[in-house]
Amino acid sequence: MKLFEYQAKAIFQKEGIPIPSGYLAAPFEAAGFCEQIGFPCVLKSQVLQGGRGKAGLIQVVKNSAEAGTRIAELEARGVKTILVEQAVPIARELYLSVTVDPLRASALIIASGEGGVEIEDLAETAPEKIIREEVDITAGLQTYQAVDIAYRMTDNPDEARQAAKIIQALFKVFSKYDAELAEINPLFVTESGELLAGDGKLVIDENSMGRQPGFERTRDHYDSDMEYEAAQEGIPYLQFDGEISLMCAGAGLTTTVFDLIHYEGGTVANYLEFGGPNYRKAVQAMELCLRNDSKVILIVTFGTIARADVMAEGIVDAIQRLRPNRPIVACIRGTNEEEAKKILEAAGIEPLYDTEEAVRKAVALCGQGSAISGADDPDGRDGGEV
Amino acid sequence: MSIFITRETRVLVQGITGKEGSFWTGHMIDMGTNVAAGVTPGKEGQSVFGRPVYHTVRRAVAEHEAGSPPCSLFHRVLPGCGFEALDSGIKKIVTIADGIPLHEMVQIRAAAKVEGALVVGGNTSGCISPGEAMLGMFPYWIDRVYRKGTIGIMTRSGSLTNEVTAMVVQAGFGVSTLMGIGGDPVPGTRFAEMLPFYEADPETEAVVIIGELGGTMEEEVAEAVEAGIFTKPLAAFLGGRTAPKGKRMGHAGAIVSGGRGTVEGKVKALESVGAAVADRPSKVGLFLRNLLDRGLTY
Repeated sequence: MKLFEYQAKAIFQKEGIPIPSGYLAAPFEAAGFCEQIGFPCVLKSQVLQGGRGKAGLIQVVKNSAEAGTRIAELEARGVKTILVEQAVPIARELYLSVTVDPLRASALIIASGEGGVEIEDLAETAPEKIIREEVDITAGLQTYQAVDIAYRMTDNPDEARQAAKIIQALFKVFSKYDAELAEINPLFVTESGELLAGDGKLVIDENSMGRQPGFERTRDHYDSDMEYEAAQEGIPYLQFDGEISLMCAGAGLTTTVFDLIHYEGGTVANYLEFGGPNYRKAVQAMELCLRNDSKVILIVTFGTIARADVMAEGIVDAIQRLRPNRPIVACIRGTNEEEAKKILEAAGIEPLYDTEEAVRKAVALCGQGSAISGADDPDGRDGGEV
Repeated sequence: MSIFITRETRVLVQGITGKEGSFWTGHMIDMGTNVAAGVTPGKEGQSVFGRPVYHTVRRAVAEHEAGSPPCSLFHRVLPGCGFEALDSGIKKIVTIADGIPLHEMVQIRAAAKVEGALVVGGNTSGCISPGEAMLGMFPYWIDRVYRKGTIGIMTRSGSLTNEVTAMVVQAGFGVSTLMGIGGDPVPGTRFAEMLPFYEADPETEAVVIIGELGGTMEEEVAEAVEAGIFTKPLAAFLGGRTAPKGKRMGHAGAIVSGGRGTVEGKVKALESVGAAVADRPSKVGLFLRNLLDRGLTY
């Protein structure tokens, strides 16, 4: 789970990493905080997307009039929360992060005496400027390692002392919060020689959420209302604007079907996984699909624990309850697939066994337009294939 | 022959009395797997399909001393049950359990390296050698998928594995050993680390890797081939080619992998060492026929 900048910075500060002073504000109160902090100050939109600077979601403002204009613009773009920060006079920018190295089975500190948004380019063009320090995740970070990294980041002893403390604090954040990634980019060196976290990124491991209480996903964590509502049901869902609604099982298989649709010239309305723990949620899944403007619902599964017969029953039940106004293509295989075949056939749905055939069928049905679901089926009760 | 386990290998099931644990233990036994014992704290003295249950792995191993059984973790009976198996001296561990915290998995992988043990998973269906034995959860009774043969398969997925394996069988092949390394970000054992076992297995003619976006495991496979560690024909399926660029993990991910991790990069790395990389599951079978000179007759 990726935290907002303000959440990450609050944690950083609590663990001893200096941050610029600032206030969290709704758009209507942001102007007041600008006055309080004084100009120039920075308006930082609290959204989860990356590249906020390039997207214009971070604005430096020099006076009240400019602040008013920029705040209105951000609000118009849907920004609900703004971090209003003092504009720190910056001499240099550094980079610091802690993550895991899956191959080496260790924690990994990555640092650089240069930083900012171009850090990835730096890794390509001047890899020697990227400092990497492996840390035993059980023993933890040794003080000498932090000091050594600090002096590789800067020659200035005063800066290095501050850097070493920040490195230790960031590693503590990484450990304590079960982080996938704890990152400060940029790490400011101010004109007066202070080190401050200019930005804060903290991604908490999904598998550790159970032992990391206090983090809750809100609507702001999702790109659309539909994605948020699906998440409330525990259903992985992504919104697109094409013609085929996917109801598939397994991340790998769903992604593969997504590819196959595009190879066949089709388009996807939504990505939806109802396998794994969700395989009894056909009704909720189909409900989500039906709220799209899709032309076809394509169901592809090949489950082991997620039994094919249970999924087929769920789909038949969903069709009876929801009376979908568009055709359904079903390719349900795996454990008890013979049973599934009978259940689908009894409900008038042709059971397909080949994924690519099912995809071609769904794409072809889109080409035929809405006549398929409407004409033969005046009451909208379309049992499946036509 | 099969890699990882044979009919003789004695298996210990952690979490044997749970719903999934007992259900799949029954299937493992039906298939011919030599399940010796199980573990569930508080259930010692009970039995599951005639196999004795112990409170802890340590107690089970003490009772069944001859040879060291591998062990399959079903449910997360205790936090850190991977350590329990490692500390009891077990050298082959299949971690079916999902939801293992990232930092714990890094510690388990690090500990396994020190112990010289193989920890496979977590979040995997396990491994299966059709006609031999299985450690985990596979619908082995579906003959059009789990047919015995000469193709080694390594995967990170569940449903997609059934899909691709069905295509391998449809092309006239079967499976020697299918190894699910698991879908979590830090698998205990990586693709390239399993290759020496497939290389040494006389019954494996070729290997198929079902890969995915991100990480560097496919690139490591290419490096292993380059280094001569694996010399048999190699095919791969890589999906996610049309997936929109997802939310990125941040700069560190890209820096760690040094620009690796994209589908294009993985295809290029694998093809440069002679692997056939499919963009559709159906092509995997076709490529295998080419690689193994069976002609395009299906």
